[in-house]
Amino acid sequence: MSVELQKKAKGERPSYFEDPAIDKVLAITLALAGETAVLRDRMDTIERLLEAGQPVTRAAIDAYVPDQAVREARDVWREVYLGNVLRIIHQEREELARSAADRRPYDEAVAHVEDPVAAGA
Amino acid sequence: MTVVADLKTQFTHGVLPVANSDEFARQEFVKSLKFHLASQVSVGNRDAFEGRAAPHFTKAEGRAPETMVDVRKAMQHDPYYKFWSALQRNSQEMMWKSVQLPVERQHDTLTAAGKIAAPRGSLRLNPELEIPRYHRAVDIHCMPGGYHTEFAEDDLANGAVYDRAVYIYAMGRMGPFNSDIGDTTIAYLKANYPDLKPRRILDMGCTVGHSTLPYCEAYPDAEVYGIDVGAPVLRYAHARAEALGQTVHFSQQNAESTDFEDGFFDLIVSHILVHETSHTAMRRIMREAHRLLADGGVVIHAETPPYRDLPAYDAFMLDWDTRNNNEPYWGASHEISAAGIAAETGFDPAKAFEGYQPSAFEAEEARRTKVFQGGDFGGGGAWYVWGVQK
Repeated sequence: MSVELQKKAKGERPSYFEDPAIDKVLAITLALAGETAVLRDRMDTIERLLEAGQPVTRAAIDAYVPDQAVREARDVWREVYLGNVLRIIHQEREELARSAADRRPYDEAVAHVEDPVAAGA
Repeated sequence: MTVVADLKTQFTHGVLPVANSDEFARQEFVKSLKFHLASQVSVGNRDAFEGRAAPHFTKAEGRAPETMVDVRKAMQHDPYYKFWSALQRNSQEMMWKSVQLPVERQHDTLTAAGKIAAPRGSLRLNPELEIPRYHRAVDIHCMPGGYHTEFAEDDLANGAVYDRAVYIYAMGRMGPFNSDIGDTTIAYLKANYPDLKPRRILDMGCTVGHSTLPYCEAYPDAEVYGIDVGAPVLRYAHARAEALGQTVHFSQQNAESTDFEDGFFDLIVSHILVHETSHTAMRRIMREAHRLLADGGVVIHAETPPYRDLPAYDAFMLDWDTRNNNEPYWGASHEISAAGIAAETGFDPAKAFEGYQPSAFEAEEARRTKVFQGGDFGGGGAWYVWGVQK
């Protein structure tokens, strides 16, 4: 490596959780999710080289450039993968969507009894 | 410009850092993560607001949230919003890391590629230039070192980092040349100022010239100039323009005060520059534009929409960058009115304009969410432009 670039952007990093350790653990977890995806793409490259009957050397793997079809297939895989990794977020989102939807008719009902004309009744 | 068959990848010009397969996979993951957050996770914020945060606000305040400030007050401690923010912030930091790695590895070759023996255009650097405080105080949009930090002699590392990161940040939605904001601004100019025949064009805050180059093709009879405060981005911009066969004169200058003659330009443009300045600097830049423009000349700035044009919730979501992505002037810059600032800076406010122009890169590949929101750059499918004719 011929140069080492700056790691942290100047400026205070916002903290999102009461315990700063949670911010760090989340950052590490996401980085691990990223590195797992990198490994998976490398596996995929090896499989595709084998299927094509090409030599599977480290140089061939490092130099592999996925074409558009392969990139699209990997995009689809990553979308599913992220849905799996972020399962807990999507659970919460589903719950929030339900309670927001539940609230909407109720608010409309309140508006209706308080001011039927404005509510379009 | 060069015809490309593949609209889904960044065009590999001569100085674009080459990623090996693992480095490319890491960048693709960040791009997917950003897209997933924008299209699948961010949507839950609205439900959190409507189903939870807004009712809490209404109960506590005795009235429903109406303004952007109200929405912020309601949402800033909401656990879903906070977690999404943390994910979003991480995606940004991971993006920079993923583009830094190949640049570090190829630094020597990139530096060598930046030295052009017989250029079509030119590069004029000024090591004495004072970097404005609004760029020294924080590294804008969390890019470590900003546009100006040099890590070696003749360094262009952060230009290379930025070129690749813009592509990933916008999730490819600015096209293979990252040129959508320039192309879109040109479309607005051609539609609204069809008789404008600029002799010379200045792009202020041009960084790596991704928005500058479209002007070479759109106005082939004009000389095109680009200025920026950062030497690394200018060295890279110069090498990139030469690699793409375009003639641009780059120089290291602060747009608040340049060394060009009065009336030297007929068209002055900027692309997402405004929000990276300051209240005072923006007014100085407009006064300088007034000095530099010939009579009948036009200054135009492209940005994301002003908050007044958005519903309170959408404005709050677009304002995310102010507090979470090292964009301290983002919020205030979205309150600017073209006529107001024109009147303050020597222009005739009656000749000021504001408008929306649909993105020029409107391929299906753009996968737009059609929403203006933090972490979804270029997702809205239009750019807001404002400016004034002298």
